[in-house]
Amino acid sequence: MLKIDNITKSFGGLRAVNDVSFSVNQGEIVGLIGPNGAGKTTLLNLLCGIYKVDSGSVRFEGNDITNLAPNRICHMGISRTYQIPQPFDALTALSGVTVAVINGKKRENMTLSDAGLDASYFLEFVGLFAKRDTLSRDLTLYELRMLELARALATSPRLLLLDEAMAGLNPGEASKALDMIWSAQEQFGVTILWIEHVMKVIMKAANRLVVLQYGEKIDEGPPEAVMANEQVIQAYLGGSDVND
Amino acid sequence: MVSFELKRDRILARWKKQKYEWIIEPRYWRNPILWSMLLLVVPLFITGYPNILTMITVANLYACITIPLALQMTGTGRLNFGPQLYLGLGGYTSALLNLHLGFSPFFTLVATILVCMLVSLLLSPITWIAKGLYFSLITLILPLAFLDLTFIYGSLFRGEVGLMGMSPVINLGRITWNYVSYYYLSVFMMLIFLFVAEKIAQSRFGVTMAAINENEDVALMMGVNVNKYKVFYYVFPSILTGIVGWFIVHTFRTFAGITYLPLDFMLKMLIIVMIGGRASVYGMIPGAYFVCFLEDSLRSLGTVNYFLFPLILIIVLVALPRGEGIYGLYHKRHPRDYFPVMRVRRE
Amino acid sequence: MLLVKLQSVLVYTFIWGSIYLLISLGFSLICGVLRIFHLGYGVIFVLAAYGTWIFIDAGLGLFPSILLMILLQIAVSLLVFYKGIFQRYLDREEILLTLTMLVFMMVTHLANYIYPITDGVNLPTTIIDGTFTIGAVRISYQMLFAALTGVLVTLIYIVFFLKTRMGLIIRAMSQSTQASLLLGADVNKMYYLAMILSIIPPTICTLMIAPFWSIEPHMGANLMMTAMLIAILGGLGNLKGSIIASYMIGFIHAGVSFLYVSRFMGFAALVITLIVMIFKRGGLFAGETIW
Repeated sequence: MLKIDNITKSFGGLRAVNDVSFSVNQGEIVGLIGPNGAGKTTLLNLLCGIYKVDSGSVRFEGNDITNLAPNRICHMGISRTYQIPQPFDALTALSGVTVAVINGKKRENMTLSDAGLDASYFLEFVGLFAKRDTLSRDLTLYELRMLELARALATSPRLLLLDEAMAGLNPGEASKALDMIWSAQEQFGVTILWIEHVMKVIMKAANRLVVLQYGEKIDEGPPEAVMANEQVIQAYLGGSDVND
Repeated sequence: MVSFELKRDRILARWKKQKYEWIIEPRYWRNPILWSMLLLVVPLFITGYPNILTMITVANLYACITIPLALQMTGTGRLNFGPQLYLGLGGYTSALLNLHLGFSPFFTLVATILVCMLVSLLLSPITWIAKGLYFSLITLILPLAFLDLTFIYGSLFRGEVGLMGMSPVINLGRITWNYVSYYYLSVFMMLIFLFVAEKIAQSRFGVTMAAINENEDVALMMGVNVNKYKVFYYVFPSILTGIVGWFIVHTFRTFAGITYLPLDFMLKMLIIVMIGGRASVYGMIPGAYFVCFLEDSLRSLGTVNYFLFPLILIIVLVALPRGEGIYGLYHKRHPRDYFPVMRVRRE
Repeated sequence: MLLVKLQSVLVYTFIWGSIYLLISLGFSLICGVLRIFHLGYGVIFVLAAYGTWIFIDAGLGLFPSILLMILLQIAVSLLVFYKGIFQRYLDREEILLTLTMLVFMMVTHLANYIYPITDGVNLPTTIIDGTFTIGAVRISYQMLFAALTGVLVTLIYIVFFLKTRMGLIIRAMSQSTQASLLLGADVNKMYYLAMILSIIPPTICTLMIAPFWSIEPHMGANLMMTAMLIAILGGLGNLKGSIIASYMIGFIHAGVSFLYVSRFMGFAALVITLIVMIFKRGGLFAGETIW
């Protein structure tokens, strides 16, 4: 479904992403892991069109989406959440999701009230229906993350890019969020590419893992095989000067 | 083509594959209708005082200028310090075309709309190129550059004296009837502007506009074509302001750039926006009336009014609660209504 | 003929550029340190001219009047602008900008009301009377002194910001207020200092140019427009940019006046600033640090 071929991106002298290629098939959950500074969020931004690719190509369902404008990419069926939640502060939760519903795809025969109904369905799915009239700046972190998820799902994506959806949540909230993401995958049929640091969650959830370090892909495969790889362990824990 | 359908509390309009609905709720319409009725019957009570009628006409025109301005500020997300550029542009276009080429008021209206549309389309790239404060600065400079231009080509624009003697929109013979007709024209123009602006603000364009104002990058990622919205919100209010310029030319029949282009006038408009209630379209009307009445009542005191006018405005601005202005005193705001924070330095 | 014109352009570029240095220095300082676009900056010019005149009119000598006027300026700047407006409305910038403009309008019209244009205001601040010639250009000694004062004050300020401890603290504050607070800088006192420092150059400028520039209540608006243009051209809040931009605008004014028609002076400066802003977003030295 998503095919990334040899993309490279440099900022000045720094090679943030260096010749990375992998693909994501329909219906699976792919985890993108790696130590901090590996270029994971940069890769996500490149996929979304926020940064321009230096070289290489990205194909989505057969169409070339390299360097397309972000709103066009959204219309093609990709949406994302953010590492630090970015809600629309002065809008209510319902209005925020309504914006996503109206603009995500070309909708026929939809007025503002119909979009509001659609939005409240998504809010109820993530469990925020009771808070639909609260301003986004008054929501807690967990609710903000759920709002982000609702907003991303409201644009009817086929590929969902999650950026550290578990950061800052305690274990109870984390397992609730994981259940939510799983049910989203079942109910809406989305494919997920997930950047994550919390290993417990990503090991459980992902079908496949891709590991990045210093902008390069160092491994790819099922979670157990990847986690047993020497190079990956060294990337996270340090080099040969660590005593076992 | 367009099919209408009446339901219990709304009217649906369908056109091709789009559906628009208009919710008719009596409680939302009662107050505006009462106020409009009041405005319409005012001339009957003050036939003996024509200067009050002119004052209210001018207040209506101020409201007509600030209603698009309020729309523009939330739409492009930045403070526009120079709406009077299009006022001057529209005014001079209609005045010059009328005086030198003999166009009738209707054709000058068409020409004004075209010229304002062209110029604002030409200038619209600054909405996405210039960041926050620089947008405000460029819009601050542009009317002054235009004013300089009118002085330089003084023979054409008649600089400080202004152009005179343009043909009126309606000529009913007697002067009082003319004044009354101008008053009604200005009331209708104001109501139409208010209606259009409110419809835009409460529609899906309004919600998207609020989202762009809050966080542009996220809105871009959600499928909003941000630049297109910004260009629309720059061009459309500019055209409306140009139409007000046309109206001034053909009702007051004199037009001088020096009255409308410098900083003093811009400050008055900005004050109306602040006092009327930030970016609330209905609030512009009480704001405009307040400023106009204040200015006129102080004028009788002599030259000290130039000093008292800013002083009183400072006191009012500081004393009004929560930044909602005069309209906030009358209208209790729902917490869930959108109340924008106008960020001047937007990075 | 052309040689004479070119000489005039050169000489007047230096003179006007140096004078503009003074008026833009204060403005850039406030922009850079307080991060506020101080639209009430023109008040300083009006107060400098008319404040001194009020005291001279009341019978005091020149130097006591200047001293009292400086005290008045400091009081207005700190109490009205800083404490009254900036501190209270920092998070609601549109009200801040509107209020500063209103205060400026109020002061200008007050000056106009008490001393209308027809009341000739004359500040006896000429240092040496008379004119002299450089090449084919005749200028007055006062103009030369104004220009030299401009250069001198700018040099003093540069030394202050680059070499002294307080200058270092102010430079740090202009880049990050929170970090400076964490490192122990007394941010409020430094803001007071910055506001007082920004008053001095325009006051000196007004006193120096009083003999040959017309003193009228609306001079604040004109000079402030020029200061704003210079600040925008050079990059908001950047001293190096202001210095270079002052001479650029001086050159544009002189060039257009002598080589073309002097009516186009202001317009040419506006157009060139707009063009620079389109191509180099943010002015010549964008980046919003003091140096």
